[in-house]
Amino acid sequence: MTDQKCDKKSNNMENQDWVYSEIVKEHFLRPRNYLMGDESKFKYDAMGLVGNPICGDQMKMYIKVKDNKIVDIRWKTYGCASAIASTSALSELAKGQTLDDALKIDAKQIDDYLGTLPKHKFHCSVLGHEALADAIKNYRDK
Amino acid sequence: MVYLDYAATVPMLPEVLEAMHRAETQFFANASALHTPGHLALNEIENTREILAGLIGAKPSEIIFTSGASESNNTIIRTFEGCQIETSLLEHHSIIESAKKYTGDKLPKLYSYMLANNEIGEILDIVQIVKDAAKISLPKSADEPEIFKPKTEWGKPLVTDRRGAYVHSDLTQVLGKIPINVHELGLDYATFSAHKIGGPIGVGALYIKEGVPLTPLIIGGNQEHKRRGGTYNTVGIIGFGVALKKMRDERSWELYDTQVRKLRDELARRILAEIPGSSLNTDITPGKSLPNILNASFQAAEGESIQLYLDAEGIIVSTGSACAAGDIKPSHVLMAKTGDAEVAHSSIRFSFGLESTQKDVEKVMEVLPGIIDRLQKISTIEMKEKK
Repeated sequence: MTDQKCDKKSNNMENQDWVYSEIVKEHFLRPRNYLMGDESKFKYDAMGLVGNPICGDQMKMYIKVKDNKIVDIRWKTYGCASAIASTSALSELAKGQTLDDALKIDAKQIDDYLGTLPKHKFHCSVLGHEALADAIKNYRDK
Repeated sequence: MVYLDYAATVPMLPEVLEAMHRAETQFFANASALHTPGHLALNEIENTREILAGLIGAKPSEIIFTSGASESNNTIIRTFEGCQIETSLLEHHSIIESAKKYTGDKLPKLYSYMLANNEIGEILDIVQIVKDAAKISLPKSADEPEIFKPKTEWGKPLVTDRRGAYVHSDLTQVLGKIPINVHELGLDYATFSAHKIGGPIGVGALYIKEGVPLTPLIIGGNQEHKRRGGTYNTVGIIGFGVALKKMRDERSWELYDTQVRKLRDELARRILAEIPGSSLNTDITPGKSLPNILNASFQAAEGESIQLYLDAEGIIVSTGSACAAGDIKPSHVLMAKTGDAEVAHSSIRFSFGLESTQKDVEKVMEVLPGIIDRLQKISTIEMKEKK
């Protein structure tokens, strides 16, 4: 494989057999908490939406809230591998958090969780974060 | 690994590798030197020049070697710096960006059009395109000279008025895939690259018709009759020659037209039949596209994700959706062709080579339907209709 997508943070590229790190690969190939098919399958309290397919990525985040805590979470995305992996990571980080704490999860935290998201893919993790913030806002506005 | 990204680069042929390895010690000398080792190295370079010239209907003296297609393209655009340059959004960035920068309003005029597109493989009727472009941009004033007189139809010599216009074509993608004759195409200039035919990366060539203008991009040496300065890349040019010779000896364009076309068409047929929401961006009608390229879009599934899911299965393809630096740009070619960003973002290019096999098609179709289905099911985009 070529060494594209390599940046300073992922200087262990020579030990990898894939373009992204093992943990990104894991979340991309086996994403957590995604919503498969019809969204009515998941009984959610609020949904957040960011992005636009015309721009190449769009994200939807669905949350179920109890006692001000995110008790369950699902997402859907039209986007690249990093968008899928970072949203998967975010859903793991947000589950069980209070709404306030969930809002504090930022792109850097997602990036740290995934370890080695290439720099030019950083915006993908922002997208998931924005979708979650939008869902929380929609919940609070209800 | 199932490698289906031949349009990006063709893996170096074993005989090329072997010849280059040998050349490193055998033809190490500076090919411009007057001593025997230098002369032997130059002989090898001239051998490659003759093979390429023979393959495209040119004289060896009309060929120069460059560092690749981008340099060849840039050389031509810079030759016409300040002149009117007509080109299209389907071209490679080395044409588009340099044309943008160096175009002007002077004559002579340059037309630069690819014979076949890199991404969807569309074969373009250069003669007609140049005619149409001339119609749009010809000065209407009676005082202006008639700068361009297309006199013949497709496949026959295109006669240009030398005072007014010249024609360049980037033939990088077509070399070896279909027969090429620079005279039949009416070309004054043509660009070629070694790594698209199994030669090394970093070697290209430029056809310059006898008598047409040329301004060297690299000056400071007498190499290539002062048309391109710099010490000859003897080893690379030898590698290019071996790939060209193989192409000529096995008449590769016939193999592309038969065995490669069969695989490409079968993949196209199976994608349409087995994958809901799929569509072809390549017109696979014979004569309309290169026989080795298939570009397809998959509704509601994003190209980079499809590419990387395939990659994880050991299948190497390319996508027209490049997501980088916070700016997700769909392929400029697919945007120019379809005007539909969703189609461009959901596109995958499968490009075959002479080493591709039926098993490659089968391996793709073992995993692709599942990958698309999964991406469509987790997508925010609703499928428009089920096939």
